[in-house]
Amino acid sequence: MSSETVTPEVADVGVAANGDLDYDAIEELLGGYVIDRESHVNAEGFVIRPDEVEAVLSTLKDEAGFDHCASVSAQEYPDRYETIYHLRKFDEPTHEVSVVVPTPRDEPVSQSGAGVFDTAEWHEREAYDLVGVEYENHPDLRRILLPETWQGHPLSLDYDQDQPQIVPLREHANPMEKRTDVPDQPDTMFVNIGPHHPATHGVLHVKTVLDGEQVADVDPDIGYLHRCEEQMCQQGTYRHQIMPYPDRWDYISAGILNEWAYARAAEDLADIDVPEYAQVLRTMGAELCRIAAHLLAVGTFALDIYGDFTAIFMYAIRDREDVQNILEDLTGQRLMFNYLRLGGVAWDVPEPREKFFRNVREFVDSMPGRLEEYHNLLTGNELFQMRVVDTGILPPEEAKSYGATGPVARGSGIDYDLRRDDPYGYYDELDWDVITDEGEDNFARAVVRLKEMEESAKIIEQCVDLLEDWDEEDREIQSNVPRTLKPDPDTEIYRAVEGAKGELGIYIRSDGTDKPARFKIRSPCFCNLQTLPVMAEGEYVPDMIAALGSLDIVLGEVDR
Amino acid sequence: MGPLQVTTLPESIGDLLGIGGPLGEFVAGIIAAAIVGTIMLGLVAVSGIWAKRKITAAFTDRIAVNRIGPFGLFVIVADAVRLLSKELIVPEGVDRPAWDLAPLVLAASALLGFAVIPMGSLFGLNFQLADPEIGLAFVFAVASIASLGLIMAGYASNNKYSFLGGLRAVAQNLAYEIPLVLTGVSVVLFAGTLQLSEIVAAQQETLLTIGGVAIPAWFAIVNPFAFVLFLAANLAEVGRNPFDIPEAPTEIVAGYQTEYSSVYFVLMYLGEFVHIFLGGAIVTTLFLGGPAGPVLPGLVWFIIKMWAIFFLTQWARSAVPRVRIDQLIEIGWKGLLVGAFANLFLTAAIVGVIA
Repeated sequence: MSSETVTPEVADVGVAANGDLDYDAIEELLGGYVIDRESHVNAEGFVIRPDEVEAVLSTLKDEAGFDHCASVSAQEYPDRYETIYHLRKFDEPTHEVSVVVPTPRDEPVSQSGAGVFDTAEWHEREAYDLVGVEYENHPDLRRILLPETWQGHPLSLDYDQDQPQIVPLREHANPMEKRTDVPDQPDTMFVNIGPHHPATHGVLHVKTVLDGEQVADVDPDIGYLHRCEEQMCQQGTYRHQIMPYPDRWDYISAGILNEWAYARAAEDLADIDVPEYAQVLRTMGAELCRIAAHLLAVGTFALDIYGDFTAIFMYAIRDREDVQNILEDLTGQRLMFNYLRLGGVAWDVPEPREKFFRNVREFVDSMPGRLEEYHNLLTGNELFQMRVVDTGILPPEEAKSYGATGPVARGSGIDYDLRRDDPYGYYDELDWDVITDEGEDNFARAVVRLKEMEESAKIIEQCVDLLEDWDEEDREIQSNVPRTLKPDPDTEIYRAVEGAKGELGIYIRSDGTDKPARFKIRSPCFCNLQTLPVMAEGEYVPDMIAALGSLDIVLGEVDR
Repeated sequence: MGPLQVTTLPESIGDLLGIGGPLGEFVAGIIAAAIVGTIMLGLVAVSGIWAKRKITAAFTDRIAVNRIGPFGLFVIVADAVRLLSKELIVPEGVDRPAWDLAPLVLAASALLGFAVIPMGSLFGLNFQLADPEIGLAFVFAVASIASLGLIMAGYASNNKYSFLGGLRAVAQNLAYEIPLVLTGVSVVLFAGTLQLSEIVAAQQETLLTIGGVAIPAWFAIVNPFAFVLFLAANLAEVGRNPFDIPEAPTEIVAGYQTEYSSVYFVLMYLGEFVHIFLGGAIVTTLFLGGPAGPVLPGLVWFIIKMWAIFFLTQWARSAVPRVRIDQLIEIGWKGLLVGAFANLFLTAAIVGVIA
């Protein structure tokens, strides 16, 4: 780890002299708000009353420096509903705190946190949609993933899965029906961009109000690719049945990165060790995935700016093909890798090892040359600069409030990378840099991705060095993990990794069985997509398309 | 220089068939037009269906069609059958006569332009349908009818994307047609005539000889500034990158042609490609010496030059980003128009001093 950790100039309340978090001081700060205290694996949780959410969140944000609402997990217990706000700091993500808000079963109403953290708006809509908690003072509480007419809340305990969804035609809300903040005016035009549109990178539906060529209002409508991933994970056993699912969230070759999110959460939950050798393998595989994912991001971004016949897209696909060949050698798959196991990885690098390492080295060595080509075609192109510089501005304050992470945040100058700040795997042993750019625009986000690929190549090279010299006796790829994994009842954990698009977090609550009682996915794309109105409103239509491209969303991960 | 005596294609055909009089001229004209039209449509079929794929594939490291026939050439037949046998979908609420006429207007306006283009000779036949004294004005006039077709298509489709595309197309054509014509006028100043055959003839002299190689007095060489201006304006006129804004698939789906399918789509598509070739033909005639060239017959040279311009549009398409609509308008009105006027005055001054 080369970059030094940023220390806040003024120590926030609750930070002890040695830099650790002092939960007693935070409890003191919150004072009478705290009615109980829980211990989660990742952080202490403070239980508060449902009508004091906003006060507690803003106290923690303003006085204790918890400026990142990483996730909002809602769930139903036999006796209550519960919403957990997972807060952490952009400057120091290891400082975490959970705000636990129980509400009675017969009246599941809780105050909204959207007034403090903009990102809570969508998270709470999702919680309302899937679990059924209602949020008071929420600016726009309606379903987000399921159709408006859906009956029941699928993750609530009394939900009957067999009951057919019968919706009379007259009640069936037309998803294309307009619903935006901008009132009807004779000189504005409402356009549905998507769900089938060449530039939405999947089935995203953006309700757009145009004033001439300018965007007056955008309202992303998601859920077209909702596949109940959380529920499917809740129905699988920890040991083997969950790992294949993460591959299918961000399915643009970011598989190992996603698998690691689950692996990290479950391993910390069940206290499983991972051998160092496996950590190196994981790190190498993950960075290969990151390169593949970023290549596609850059390629499709070029597609949005250049038009359908650009050469850059095919160049990106060509280079991605090389990564996939390596990943196929390593994992046996080209897309849905299923390579990680709890406590390690599925298998060692393929024999003959020398040949595999030679392939990886060849690719890594060719990376600077390949990136040079992209810089020539993209970032060095004056017309391209004319199109993307100073468009799709995302100020850092807004980015933080919306919970933007990954290249989107780093393109706005937010120095936040979990690989360095909340180290896992083998990252803190390696020499690499976190890329940030102060540009805050579409251009900056593209540049960050291009440069990150270079850093990933560096990491891979160091991993290969390590693997080559690794003692043959000591190549342990999996630790000893019980066949049936039953973590202690009522342990809760939120753990995140740096996925291709940003902070990919998993919240798991175990109930003593071999399946999770609640499995919540904090998707970086979901949060990043929320920033689209900030970037696009007031800009031209092509700029909105460019902003959408620069966000690099994968609908599989947005909708889960 | 006295007026050139050229035998046009209808006249040659009339002589060949031994028919005269008004009716004979009419019949000969129809036959000649059919020949020229067939050549152009043949070019479009080869370029639009086959060459376009091959060229783009070469730029993007792919192979493209290679299964049907030699080099995949028979895909032209397969695609033609496929496109024509598709269902013609007429969306609800389209403005019927206008919606039906738009593809016809588009294709026809581009084809009409070829009526006066001197395409050189082959087997002693001079491939030019007519050679009016106002040839250049005629070409620009009929090519601009396409704008009417675009707005008809955009407005009549009852689709917001089409509407946006139609408006963009008109804004773009307005902004670029003026520099286009003004740059064309600078050539007229040089040649002293609007008659296309004479503009071509004016470029046949040798400008200078370097090491035994005679450099012809093509206006592209005499006035490269005008040539570049004209090429840029022409790219915008035919709607290709960086100026393919009226279609902009990633923004407004397909612009004015979003709602067209089957035969109508073929006509739209065909009109677009004929337009590219017409643009190429105008550039060739005004700046590249028309059908002039060594060894090969004139018509062949003419087609080669047109293809070079077509190739340029495809190259731009693979390598250059699309500019934004406001930037496009700005480039048009503030950049190209000023440049075109500067070029015009400069040319006028030079011509006035020398001649």
